Amino acid sequence: MNGLMLLAQVADAAERVGSGRIQGGWEFVWASYAIAYLSMALYALSLWWRRPGRAGRSEEKPS
Amino acid sequence: MDDKWRNLRLGLGALGLILVVVGAWMGLFWAPADREMGDVYRIIYTHVPAMWMTLIGGFINFVACVAYLIRASWKADSLAEASAEVGLMFGVYGLVLGMLWGKPTWGVYWDWDPRLTSMAVLLVAYMGYMTLRRFIEDPEKRAVWSAVVGIIAFMDIPIVWFSVRWWRSLHQEQSTPQTVHPDMTLALRVNAFALLFVFLAFLWSRYRIAMANRKEELALPEALGEPTAAAG
Repeated sequence: MNGLMLLAQVADAAERVGSGRIQGGWEFVWASYAIAYLSMALYALSLWWRRPGRAGRSEEKPS
Repeated sequence: MDDKWRNLRLGLGALGLILVVVGAWMGLFWAPADREMGDVYRIIYTHVPAMWMTLIGGFINFVACVAYLIRASWKADSLAEASAEVGLMFGVYGLVLGMLWGKPTWGVYWDWDPRLTSMAVLLVAYMGYMTLRRFIEDPEKRAVWSAVVGIIAFMDIPIVWFSVRWWRSLHQEQSTPQTVHPDMTLALRVNAFALLFVFLAFLWSRYRIAMANRKEELALPEALGEPTAAAG
């Protein structure tokens, strides 16, 4: 009986400790990829907006 | 000739975009999960290449700054300006991605460990560089002063790179192809080349903008040192 109780305690502890591998976390992955590609897209847009030869560009302060 | 360069620039960007899409698929779905970090590690395929581009931008900025101080050239000054801005863009979002990776793995978004701290210092330095350039109106003074700042900022890059080896850092040391699964290595390389082509396309475009700005500024009589009506 003591052995069974001991085994039950060990099993319970093992379940709480886990496998040693992070589970899930996909929300962080999706957020990272979204931030990366959105940043590049917005920067590309800013470059296009500031492109040489754009009408009205010479009236703006150089950046 | 202009069309040829424009097509080359656009082609570079298009190639980068294609590789970005392929790299995203490889990073999100194709590469295997990590033994310890599970699927969270997939952030590596966006975070690490971004940081590499930041360091490349810093290096190009350093070379252009030194080149300008040796022999004043608006091309060198424009390249310095372009590389700093593009590198800064990659660095800022790369740092944010690192924070998102830190939360599920370290339990915190931020830690003042050597790698994170030195990278934050680097980004602040380049923000200072861009701010300095914005506030100095005289093109020659701006070029010289910002070149000095750019050279000083570059001193932090070796610290960023070697920080994980020199100090006991929370941030992991650099992995090598010998220590990771070959599929992970391939996915990282594809994403790295994707960002490299995007970086070069951005750099080229931003350089053209900087050169156009210089031409507009230098067309003004004050910039050429000619006396104005009030001073006469």
